[in-house]
Amino acid sequence: MTEEYDVEFVERGEREARFLVRGVTPGFANGIRRAMLADVPTMAIDTVRFVENSSVMFDEQLALRLGLVPLTTPPEGEFGEDETVTLSIDVEGPATAYSGDLVSNDELVQPADQNVPIIDLKDDQRLEAEADAVVDYGKDHAKHQGGVAVGYRHLQQVEVVGDLPEFEDEESRIVRGVIEDNGELVPTSEFDHDLSNRYPGKEVEVEDVPNAFVFHVETDGSFSVEELVTRAADSIESRATELEDAVQL
Amino acid sequence: MMVPVRCFTCGNVVAEHWEEFDERANEGDEDPEKVLDELGVERYCCRRMLVSHRDLVDVVSPYQ
Ligand SMILES: [Zn+2]
Repeated sequence: MTEEYDVEFVERGEREARFLVRGVTPGFANGIRRAMLADVPTMAIDTVRFVENSSVMFDEQLALRLGLVPLTTPPEGEFGEDETVTLSIDVEGPATAYSGDLVSNDELVQPADQNVPIIDLKDDQRLEAEADAVVDYGKDHAKHQGGVAVGYRHLQQVEVVGDLPEFEDEESRIVRGVIEDNGELVPTSEFDHDLSNRYPGKEVEVEDVPNAFVFHVETDGSFSVEELVTRAADSIESRATELEDAVQL
Repeated sequence: MMVPVRCFTCGNVVAEHWEEFDERANEGDEDPEKVLDELGVERYCCRRMLVSHRDLVDVVSPYQ
């Protein structure tokens, strides 16, 4: 790659971010996207032992619901493949059991969202269970997928090429993502995704900027966006190294 | 029965917002569109999860 590699944030939050990456091939951009979805392991409940379940849902259904609750995932290397964290839940009706009622035996592994209703319990109904959480990959089960709706678009360059004829009706011109206007990055949401709002009476040309991609990344709360992206890049690097070692003479 | 924990399509955790949505848009008389916007449930895949959901625990519990 001859072009200089560069990353720039457009919007940055704990669980949602948008950033521009320059100087990568479309293949590499897609590699990062796929790594974020499938190759960054997260913590999730995998085995549930029910002590009592007199609710209206079956054990298996509740186990699925518990598994889908995102858990905060400690830094890489903190947990091995076979290590487990035990979480317990004990709620008696009439009440609703929430993800926040899960009690973990490890401070680093906690439910990321507190208000996920697990099951609505009526009079004399009770849920008592013990669950084991493990680290696994998104490619094995969706509950281990840390990235949510991860995607990217080309950065688009907008250039004013002239004025519209005086009496011509203005047509809306919809673009989505982020545009570059004289080096300035503007999210299209700022002008309601319509170029005729930003450049009234002007004729504009929109072009994809080669090898510049705007990523939109959200996480389920297992870790921050930053953590997800760096872990995805690390995973690609380690697999590339592995390949290099494997084919070496 | 109970609201799905995550969006079937994108995996976003939608159950987190169910009770507030139910209270404001189903029980209350607020516009569901506005409520979803305020809750930050942006994509239509996630929005349909909440809009189309019906709690059935109360319906089936007498037969338990
Ligand atoms: Zn969704």
